[in-house]
Amino acid sequence: MALTRKTRIHVWFRLLLLQGSWNFERLQGLGFFYALLPALKKLYRRNQLVTIGREYLGYFNTHPYLAPLVAGAVLKLEEERAAQQDLQVTIDDFKEMVAAPYAAIGDALFWGGLRPLAAGIALFFAAKGILWTPLIFLLLYNLVPLVFRLSGFVYGYHRGIRSVEFIQRRCLPDWAIHTKEAAVVVLGGFSAFLVFQHLQHDEMVSWVGLLALIPMILLGLIARKGISTLMLTLLTAIVIILLSMFWTDVTGLLVL
Amino acid sequence: MNLSDLLLGALIALVCGLDRTAILQVMISRPIVAAPLVAWILGEPMIGLQIGMMVELLWLARLPVGAAIPPDDTQVAIAGSVLAINFSRVFAVQGGELLLLCLLVAIPLGKVGQYFDRFARQYNVRLLKRAESCLEKKNIFFAEMQHLRGLLSFSLAAVGTYVVILIGGFFLIPLLWPLVHEPLLDSSRLLQLALPLVGVAVILGTINVSRALTLFCASFSMAFLLMWLV
Repeated sequence: MALTRKTRIHVWFRLLLLQGSWNFERLQGLGFFYALLPALKKLYRRNQLVTIGREYLGYFNTHPYLAPLVAGAVLKLEEERAAQQDLQVTIDDFKEMVAAPYAAIGDALFWGGLRPLAAGIALFFAAKGILWTPLIFLLLYNLVPLVFRLSGFVYGYHRGIRSVEFIQRRCLPDWAIHTKEAAVVVLGGFSAFLVFQHLQHDEMVSWVGLLALIPMILLGLIARKGISTLMLTLLTAIVIILLSMFWTDVTGLLVL
Repeated sequence: MNLSDLLLGALIALVCGLDRTAILQVMISRPIVAAPLVAWILGEPMIGLQIGMMVELLWLARLPVGAAIPPDDTQVAIAGSVLAINFSRVFAVQGGELLLLCLLVAIPLGKVGQYFDRFARQYNVRLLKRAESCLEKKNIFFAEMQHLRGLLSFSLAAVGTYVVILIGGFFLIPLLWPLVHEPLLDSSRLLQLALPLVGVAVILGTINVSRALTLFCASFSMAFLLMWLV
């Protein structure tokens, strides 16, 4: 029995709440069960549903934007299981096989790459005082995840276990690296813009701004050693407030 | 203090807090969105934009990977904006100094969000167990409902963090303002520059890209020289 389009849409919408009951023991397990339940109800009788449901309450964790890809493929496998066809791989094994790699790719691509990139671009608008900045950020950021959530689910459902090609064909790990590199470049430009704007406003000599690279690199190296952002922020603030007591003398040297 | 401002702030804190982990994740929880949103509702969008800009990059490098919980920058941005807007009216002060003080008080309190979030996730283990026992009793509807109850624990964590930052701010800011007003007058512009740059530096230090330093220095220098020449 094939699932109707309406049921699949219902599942897709429920996947937007995947992490609603995220917990330390089985992470998204309960959420995945919740999302797939409308489809499982169509495929199984009540007694079978209880047994199947217990399987879904096990450990599950993947990236929320790539979860529709997994869910689509799982629905396909469930259809085959309900029709008592031989499965090439069990559903639990399939989930276990793909969830962790998808999570790693999604984390690197979306959290590690796309988010700083979109934030970096949007912050240029914020620095210019443009009030549409939040909308610009939301548009820049959400386009790609939305495409992944929609097309991943459709692709997963149509291709079943072969849906892993979705990741391979699009070379997503490579894209994660490219996006991170682009984010670094944009943030470099943004930092230069902030420093230049500051110097212009205070009528200080411009070349001094290039020296801002030194504390930034030092702070980056300290952060790499594991010192928390909170500590770095508070230390920087304290140092600046203390220095400001003598700052008027220092700026006098740097005025144009 | 305006109670309706605080309640509107709590509503935004709840919605944005849920977007952080539990629902959608369309990033309305990012400080660059949440802070201007709450400030716009309270009638001072520029304050929110300034706060959003300073907080956005601070913890952007802390990824919500697996069981890792970053400090709650969403509630720092929202509560920081609410505090800044309210105290600017109380003290009748314009300018960035008060805004910075509100933010410097809110930032360490954002750490509380991590603990609340951890409690919520620990509490959700109980929901999982209840869902299992509901299934044992063949009660599928109640098993399903346990998942939705998880939203309640995340909501409480979000609003709890917002309230803690607000209470902390209401106690500390009136005490600190007379003491740090003068030093902040001299340093506010530099601090407003420094906070985003610290965030960028942390991203630079923790981003897993082999040529990050080279790319960053090249783009910084190129952009800087271009702006200088033009």
